Amino acid sequence: MANRKSVKTDQADTLIASDTKIYPRAVHGLFAMWRSIGVLILLGIYYIVPWLTWGERQAVLFDLPNRKFHIFGLTFWPQDFFYFAVLLIIAAFALFFFTAIAGRLWCGYACPQTVWTELFMWIARKVEGDRPKQIKLDKMPWNAYKIRIKTTKHFLWLLLAAYTGFTFVGYFTPIDELASRIIELSLGPWEWFWIIFYSFATWGNAGFMREQVCIYMCPYARFQSVMFDNDTLIISYDEERGEPRGSRKRNEDPATKNLGSCIDCTLCVQVCPTGIDIRDGLQYQCIACSACIDVCDDVMDKMGYERGLIKYTTENARQGKSVSLFRPRILVYAVSLIIMSLGLTTAIAMRVPLEVDITRDRTRLFNETDTGLIENTYSLQIINKDESIHQYHITATGIDGMKMSIKSETIEVAAGEVIDIPLRLQVDAYNLKKRSTEIMLSVVSIDNADIRVSEATRFLGPTGRR
Amino acid sequence: MADDTLPTCQKTVSVLWPAFLTAGLATILFFTAFDPVVLLQETRFADTSRLGAYSIGFFLFWLLTTLSCAMTCFFRKPCNPK
Repeated sequence: MANRKSVKTDQADTLIASDTKIYPRAVHGLFAMWRSIGVLILLGIYYIVPWLTWGERQAVLFDLPNRKFHIFGLTFWPQDFFYFAVLLIIAAFALFFFTAIAGRLWCGYACPQTVWTELFMWIARKVEGDRPKQIKLDKMPWNAYKIRIKTTKHFLWLLLAAYTGFTFVGYFTPIDELASRIIELSLGPWEWFWIIFYSFATWGNAGFMREQVCIYMCPYARFQSVMFDNDTLIISYDEERGEPRGSRKRNEDPATKNLGSCIDCTLCVQVCPTGIDIRDGLQYQCIACSACIDVCDDVMDKMGYERGLIKYTTENARQGKSVSLFRPRILVYAVSLIIMSLGLTTAIAMRVPLEVDITRDRTRLFNETDTGLIENTYSLQIINKDESIHQYHITATGIDGMKMSIKSETIEVAAGEVIDIPLRLQVDAYNLKKRSTEIMLSVVSIDNADIRVSEATRFLGPTGRR
Repeated sequence: MADDTLPTCQKTVSVLWPAFLTAGLATILFFTAFDPVVLLQETRFADTSRLGAYSIGFFLFWLLTTLSCAMTCFFRKPCNPK
């Protein structure tokens, strides 16, 4: 698919290929508007979510110091890693699904790299002006004016980056506490470190690295083309209509000059955030941001030509074949997505907020008590994953006449707490049929019988003496 | 190999970045399975906070994965002088 001939070999031998610096020109139009809406919504979500509260606590808090993830009414523990893994697989399939239908929709509208780059470029344009002014400024020798403009830009960039870094850490430790401690300058070393680290990453990625992140660092960019087929939406230049390209006066009939619709104004190249020429064909660097569509439509309007010299299309549409939305791969992705999403939702809804771990005392296989009973010792760990306190009742089954010795009949565990309790089980040797018998320990909440966990363990003893 | 024609940016990134990603994955998996407070309680690092242990763990993983990525590049050098 990728047009090989157009892949430029970057000869720049600096860490950041600054001599090929790209100054994307500002663009206005339908798709630019959609991208702005996307950017505003996504940035809004990112900056606002950590400030939401749910009851007493932060609504979304990945509380790493306490090893608990809170997402609104749900709390996840390290033992719930499975849900996280399924969620990641669902996210991957969603990406495949949207890529197969609409190409690099993610890259052009929703990727954090695009979102923050848009924001940083917007600031740069407010301070330095649009593309021609930015180029002029960079060529200008250093003087008071240049220093003032550059300082202003970097000050605003760093301010935004610092707030972004602060918000990022606010997802992992309570943000209101973080804010008050940052004012008092009393953060822990690692909180400082991650705020600064993430701020510099934002500044570097959105201010300097930009398209190089997409080209050199993004794994998705490298493999997204395998999800493409001839019905996938791509951005394409209509070569047949456009060529031969060439400049002409507005009132000239291109046919008399033997020219196509492309007036070779190079605006499509100037607006491109990755610096490619879409007229060379579909390229791996194209993040499908559709800036070239917007700007070219504008030019076509001014020239009085039909829009769509560069447009969203599919390979089949280009060749005049019929376009089908429901291809086998789309159906496979869609069905897998639906099944996994339903499965995950059901699993989370049916999740029991209680976890029980049993460890047998490994120092002795069994004891014989004064009264001649065979005794096994266990350690029971009860994790109350619920948001409220619970009292639990413990029962043991599996061997006739089994007696339990525990410090109290009911065990109370506070919300989100873990307790360890020793437990001894005693059995008359006559009831033992084997050296090792499977038994069941059940922990049931007294106030809610649905909160129940049964765990199997083994009871060891001498062979039955029947 | 065509490595000589690669920009330095891509060479550097192709070592550090995959290492960063796999180190992140390793950190998540490792610390989901093992609580650093429990791991360190019997050692002289018992006072390390969880956030500190996660961070140091991440950078140690990153060091190892970087080493591995760099060695892959090293051994990809052609053996024949021609």
